[in-house]
Amino acid sequence: MGSSKILYRAEPADQRLVEPLDMMTLIYQRRSGITHMVGEPVPQMLAAMGDDAVDAAILAKRLAKTFDLGGAADAVAVLSERLEELAELGLVERITDA
Amino acid sequence: MHEFRVQVGPAAFRIGSAWREPLAQMAELYRDYPQPEFTDFSVRLEPTGLLRRWLRPSVAICGDYMLPDAAPLPLAQGLLAAEMAMNLQMALGWRRHLLLHASAVERDGRVLVMTGQSGSGKSTLSALLGSRGWRFMGDEFVLLDPVSGDAVPFPRLISLKNSAIAAMQAVKPDGHFGPLLAGTPKGDIRHLVPPGDAIARMGQGGAPALLLFPRFGYPGEVREVAPGETFMRLTQASTNYVALGEAGFTTLTRFVRSVPSRAIDYQSGEEAVALVEQLWERLA
Amino acid sequence: MMSGEIPDNDDAMQMPTRRRALMLGAAGVAAVVSVRPALAQTAGSVLNCEIPVPGPHGAGMNIDATGNLVAPDTPGSFTATGQRFSGEEVKRALSGQTLPGTTYEQSQAYVNYIRRLQAGQSGFTCFASLQMPR
Repeated sequence: MGSSKILYRAEPADQRLVEPLDMMTLIYQRRSGITHMVGEPVPQMLAAMGDDAVDAAILAKRLAKTFDLGGAADAVAVLSERLEELAELGLVERITDA
Repeated sequence: MHEFRVQVGPAAFRIGSAWREPLAQMAELYRDYPQPEFTDFSVRLEPTGLLRRWLRPSVAICGDYMLPDAAPLPLAQGLLAAEMAMNLQMALGWRRHLLLHASAVERDGRVLVMTGQSGSGKSTLSALLGSRGWRFMGDEFVLLDPVSGDAVPFPRLISLKNSAIAAMQAVKPDGHFGPLLAGTPKGDIRHLVPPGDAIARMGQGGAPALLLFPRFGYPGEVREVAPGETFMRLTQASTNYVALGEAGFTTLTRFVRSVPSRAIDYQSGEEAVALVEQLWERLA
Repeated sequence: MMSGEIPDNDDAMQMPTRRRALMLGAAGVAAVVSVRPALAQTAGSVLNCEIPVPGPHGAGMNIDATGNLVAPDTPGSFTATGQRFSGEEVKRALSGQTLPGTTYEQSQAYVNYIRRLQAGQSGFTCFASLQMPR
């Protein structure tokens, strides 16, 4: 492979408190003390990531086992963006390939 | 420096003042409240400058917790300055409970919480219900216990503004009212001492059973508010949600899961009381 | 299937149940809103605050249209005398009204100055308290 790939790994599940409500899920991040109000597909992404380092393509495949993601290419692109958003917030960490 | 101490719910305040008059007014209005020996917060009313002690006296609020950029008040509104200062100490410094900017009344051990911006009517509505058989618990802050989830009383002087003053005087002609403070930054203000049972039972909380978002001045209507929206609004109505960290999160999520929430619009006190009684009957 | 048995819905031989659609969200639209401290908003409702334009750090300077402090002889800039505006007045100016005692352009410049205030500068806390939603 040519370019280095970024993988993402979620924080350990015991580092957050998750409370699903009606139209959003609340995630309290213990490390930062910040409460995030998140919509789909964030809780599903975090659950599907488990403790593994994944990229958007891998994540899309996992989610597609349980959910209908619509168009495949779109899904990977949007999930990429979501992963970056979560990385900015510290809910997942970026792991760059050496 | 003159001094006055007062216990309100779980918090004890010490108020110092360069002038006697505001404290004399406070002592008179708070005469039935406990006077604590040890205090949680200190507040001082000080002149804004050397001459301002005597010439067009101007009160600066100082205390354990302060906000810079605060505008000073004339001495005639010293009582208001002291009340604002006490609010500020609670808002910035109280950690033992989750604080919501809300009013509350209690009946049969269960608590009605009303929240909204200034002017929404939560303060006046709590005063009105307090004179209609409900026990008044507070009009400025509702304190939620992080362990039990109970709402704890914080019954300060009820702050009535503008048209609410005459409205409450009509409802409670023999009420213990403070002086009329005209032309304050928030308009005309008059304080009302809470009813005797509110003061006597300031140590007794209750389980929150209904949350209302009141809105005065609109045709009568009731709307359901979903837990997600309620949670979001309450984080903005809380002065210490973030500071409490995990305790704040668990306390507030427990609250929104267990307490039904409605927005009510009304155009008169009577209409509001009727809506409250209906909703309480059905939901609490 | 043996007679008398209730059909097993999880029978692997059956067609898989339809998966529900997962909303992935739109590109460019955030899926997360983080709770910011709201203390200042509540405290702002219990305390009247003021913002001087400019604050002491800008005494003697003018304000340009984008709200920066500039030398008094800068063309197109606006004089400012340290006039104090209340939190209420600034809140209204943020939604389009003009600050009292100012022209439209002057008010825009002042508002931009206020938007640029940083922690530690006079008026910042008051301004920050106005920024909390509702």
